This record gives sequence, structure tokens and C-alpha cells, in this order.
Amino acid sequence: MAFEYLPVMAQNSAPKPPRVLGAPSKPAWWPVKSPVSQSRIALLSSAALRLATQQPFMPREDLSYRRIHSDPDAGEIIIDHHSGIGRVPKQDAEIVFPRTALASLVAGKVVGSLSPFHFSFMGGVRQHKKIENELAPAIAKELKQCEVDLALLVSY
Amino acid sequence: MVIGTAFDIMSRVTPPRAAFVDHPVGRTFGPPHDRQRNETVLARALAELPHFTRSGEICDLGCTWSPDGSRAWEDELRVEMLHDR
Repeated sequence: MAFEYLPVMAQNSAPKPPRVLGAPSKPAWWPVKSPVSQSRIALLSSAALRLATQQPFMPREDLSYRRIHSDPDAGEIIIDHHSGIGRVPKQDAEIVFPRTALASLVAGKVVGSLSPFHFSFMGGVRQHKKIENELAPAIAKELKQCEVDLALLVSY
Repeated sequence: MVIGTAFDIMSRVTPPRAAFVDHPVGRTFGPPHDRQRNETVLARALAELPHFTRSGEICDLGCTWSPDGSRAWEDELRVEMLHDR
């Protein structure tokens, strides 16, 4: 049986009420049109990742995002997310942001191509409407400009 | 597609396609500095992509954190998650 996160999160936030989870206002579904081997893929991460040279995320309710070059050698990744589980991934961001693994799958022709950029934002933000109506469309526009076929969101 | 470790959360927020990895949160693609495992988990998720048929479906990738299947990591994770209360 899978580990249950919600009771631990509720305990963590007490005596404040538990976090309210936000589901999309309508189901999102888009058919996969090409095999993975012919698709361009981008990573999305809710870990508030950035390159060391980019502006830090502000804690908690930051609704901005960062464009991260998909080349694994593009620079050191910093995790700005405030979560207490960050100690381990801060040793190696690839375990929540597999930039190198994805590039390796492209080199091995398992994946068609890399998006020029991956994207990251702050997870756990409580402004659900703004995420759905502002942040998500802005990132979707970026993905379209990058001609991405598949976006993989690694939740944090 | 979402790739995540929290089955209970993914079942509530209904992403269009979700791949469940039974690892501790924050270690979705394995322990630090294990590039082979990073790639194995990612390849498994991508291999499942064509099999999704409806929005909200969650696919279990069959990943286990401990080689012997032990779930002792759950107690350690609870402590870690509550550390910054």
C-alpha cells in the first residue's frame, strides 16, 4: 500500500487547517499524436528550481516560473522550494529533475528530441485560480513556442 | 503527464495522466547520484504513455525504493517531513 502523504501534511500544518487540494476546473486531456521516439519533450518541476545565475524564487506564494536550459551542462540547479523534504534532493537535483536522464534517452533514440528549455515553478501555492488562469497558460505558451509534444511534470 | 510519489494526492487532483513511483517524496528518480536508476524510472514512465486511455488515470510503474521491498523508509520519511514543523 502506498504511503499516505495527506495525513502527515495535515499533522505538519496543524493547528492550521489542512491544505486544500485544487483539482482542475475541467478535465484536461490531449491525445498523444506521436510515439515518444519522435516526440519533443520538456520537463516541468514544482520544486522551484532555477539556475544559480537566475533570480531566486520568493517563499511560499511566488507565482513566477523559470526557464531552464535543457542542456545538462547548462549550470548548477538550485532548489528554492521551502519543503522540509528538500535536504536529499538538494544533494542532487537530478532525482527530482532528470535533465541528464532525459538527454541520455534522446542520445539513445528512445526520445525524439529535447525542448530547448525546461520550466519550473513553486509547488504548494494556495492561489489555485491564479495558477490555472495565469501561471499554467503562461507555461503552456512557452511549451508551444518550444514546439513541445510531451510535457512531463515531476511533482515535488 | 505527471510523475509523482504521492498516490493519495494524485488521485485527488486528477492530472490527465499520472505515473506513480513508490519512492519517498523528493526522490522520484532514485537516490542521489544514481544516473542509471534516474534513467530507468524515466524510461518506464515514458513507456507507459501510450497506454493511458482516459483523464485521471494513474499508472503504477512498479518501482520499489528498497531492493528487498522493505517499507522502513516510511518511518524515516515521516520524521523528515515533520522536522521543520
